[in-house]
Amino acid sequence: MEEILRMEHITKRFGEFYANRDINLSVLKGEVHTLLGENGAGKSTLMNILFGLYQPSGGQIFLHGKPVAIDSPATAVKLGIGMVHQHFMLVEAMTVFENIILGDRNTKGIFIDRNARRKEILELSERYNLDVELDKPITEIAVGAQQRVEILKALYRGAELLVLDEPTAALTDIEVEGLFRIMKKLVGEGKSIIFISHKMREVMQISDRITILRAGETVRTVERGETTGEELAGLMIGRELAPSHYAKVTKPGAAVVSLHDVDYQKKSKHNGLNGVTLEVGRGEILGIAGVDGNGQSQLAQLVTGVIAPEGGSVDMKGSRVATFSPNGFILENVSHIPEDRNKMGLIGNMSVMENILLKETGDPRFSDAGGWHLKRKAMRTYAEQMQQKYDIRCTSVAQESRNLSGGNQQKVILARELENHPDLLVAVHPTRGLDIGATRFVHDTMISARDAGCGVLLISADFDEILEMSDRIIVIFEGKIMGEYPGSNPPIDQISLAMAGK
Amino acid sequence: MSQLFTLSFFTAFLAAAVRLAVPLIYAGLGETIAEKAGVINIGMEGVMLDGAFFSFAGAWYSGSLAVGLLCGIAGGVLMSVLHGVICIVLAQDQTVSGLAINMFALGLTSFLFKLMSQGQSYQQVETFETYAIPGLSKIPLIGAAFFEKDILCYLLYILLILFTIFYKRTDLGLSHIAVGEAPHAAESAGIPVHLFQWTALLVNGVLGGIGGAYLVLVQLGVFTENMISGRGYIALAAVILGRHMPLGMFAAALLFGLANALQIRLQTIGVSVSPYLLAILPYAMTLLAMLGAAGRSSRPESLGKPYVRGSR
Repeated sequence: MEEILRMEHITKRFGEFYANRDINLSVLKGEVHTLLGENGAGKSTLMNILFGLYQPSGGQIFLHGKPVAIDSPATAVKLGIGMVHQHFMLVEAMTVFENIILGDRNTKGIFIDRNARRKEILELSERYNLDVELDKPITEIAVGAQQRVEILKALYRGAELLVLDEPTAALTDIEVEGLFRIMKKLVGEGKSIIFISHKMREVMQISDRITILRAGETVRTVERGETTGEELAGLMIGRELAPSHYAKVTKPGAAVVSLHDVDYQKKSKHNGLNGVTLEVGRGEILGIAGVDGNGQSQLAQLVTGVIAPEGGSVDMKGSRVATFSPNGFILENVSHIPEDRNKMGLIGNMSVMENILLKETGDPRFSDAGGWHLKRKAMRTYAEQMQQKYDIRCTSVAQESRNLSGGNQQKVILARELENHPDLLVAVHPTRGLDIGATRFVHDTMISARDAGCGVLLISADFDEILEMSDRIIVIFEGKIMGEYPGSNPPIDQISLAMAGK
Repeated sequence: MSQLFTLSFFTAFLAAAVRLAVPLIYAGLGETIAEKAGVINIGMEGVMLDGAFFSFAGAWYSGSLAVGLLCGIAGGVLMSVLHGVICIVLAQDQTVSGLAINMFALGLTSFLFKLMSQGQSYQQVETFETYAIPGLSKIPLIGAAFFEKDILCYLLYILLILFTIFYKRTDLGLSHIAVGEAPHAAESAGIPVHLFQWTALLVNGVLGGIGGAYLVLVQLGVFTENMISGRGYIALAAVILGRHMPLGMFAAALLFGLANALQIRLQTIGVSVSPYLLAILPYAMTLLAMLGAAGRSSRPESLGKPYVRGSR
């Protein structure tokens, strides 16, 4: 088959650091070519070079066999490269139609010929089954639809080669199936797709060929047929990863927290709780399964004291909670891995050390006079111990936490939240966006906290994570509890139905 | 007080309001264009002041109004290019840069004016003539106010209409809006963000420069130190009150013109209120207008945030 793209010996250096080193990639016409690699393996850098956002420090790009220099996204678009970024590049203040035609110069005259362009877009959307409502503002359509707009936008600009950067990260299972159908249709019509992912199941389902990157270098390119998910995972992280099976706890200890018939904005389907009764015991992990936006955020905020229930009651270690405040819950020894680590978990402009010690600066170990004078030396020593213990990869503990990778940011949060042996840990999507290695680390750490007697409330939209980690599983749908299931040999079919509200 | 209520009074009043508003509208249009593309230029005061001084100097030495106007434009562009180097090339804070430009322009023009005037306090240049548009200028009340004007004012009407069409109907206009709303999205759609921001800033300098030159070459014929006296800031307020659209800004600037005309009228007919208090009126109105506009923001999403390619 004809080769559409070849990237040869691509190198990209940032100072002393090689983000890409001598990478080779070849993409054929009509194939789905997966780029597989952990966070920080260099996938995004390579794609940013392809799309003209970065200039390579060395190497050459060939399109249809001819050498090209891609100095800006505008050039990339002209050369027939379309990119769907993980964080969508849509103008929220505009409609779907305006976003699609935006910046497209293939037009006669200076005025926008709305009718002709609509026709063109509708033809494309029909041909590739890309269903969109052209006149809706971007803010009013679902994430899956926004993604279709992005794909349509690229096709409208004449893209022959589409780069999809972790397109499934924000989608539900059903939406993922829809996306895969669209991808098959696209390659069937002769387009080529570079698919970026680290979800092994999806990679094995959709790829024709797979190129594995590790630490900025190409490991190998393989045909899907000649490999297995386990082998890919091994190539990706550079060592064998034994399948994880955590022992399940069947007899938890006394209740750390219990909710009785708790209501919060119960009329709201997506952001409320309706008559929730549950209990987390010492030394167990209670998993809350459900599709995102069925009251999980509110449940997490409630058991960390951010919001107060409008009905029902909450008991903490056997006594009724009277006032709800985050500080009150922290004093009760409740720890929290929040759902958005950048907005709620860390202060990006502060150092790793400061973030680790955020809750403890008043402690006599780290300050005199009740917090009025900080013992910088003791703080630094402690932070460096934590850096070792939690394997936080940073240049020093003085590095700003915003510059760490997602996995290392999460480890900073773990060090802060788990080191003082909490009675209750509330973990919300704790491994979202993390690679396999970091995910394993977070899971291991949570299991050892459990084994040390901590009660864990795990809220996750990742079903595999719930199944792997939970000693008990509760399904939540539109703010209501649909059922409770055992963690060992869980009835997967029943749970799936419950998650869909049946 | 009966003189307050005659038709000729209102005609003269409205004419004064438009006259006071035209420099604001020029600057406001320039600012609208820059802000649409995501660059806020607090330095409009400095751009106008530079425009005023250089137009005066140009007209004085050459004896030609056209040369004066071109010099005024160049003066305005000089300031906005400076702003562009700081905010676009160096990606520095736009507010700080704008304030610095205001102070720089004040110092620069005062210094050059002192050199030029050599102790003489009064030097006057010729001003643009007015042309009454047949028919339109005979409309009662508004005819004299809007259609018995100079060529720069008519040019302004045309620009207002052209830029309204530009943003509502053209590809380039849509792209300019996208640059101010979501520069990363714009770049990935193939729009050269920095190029568009530069174009917008150059237009900002041209129009701001004309706004300042207008005071000298049409209205006063002289330059005085710090003669813009806050008009640049009022133009910024007009942009916000006008919801970042050319015609909205036009209406808002007219409102400020009316307030200013009103306080002058009240002073001349001897209302028993301190003239200093009356002089506050346009500024007080600016504040009130901002309060009224609170909560209904039309501000471009990425206004004032430097765009760096490849960053998030």
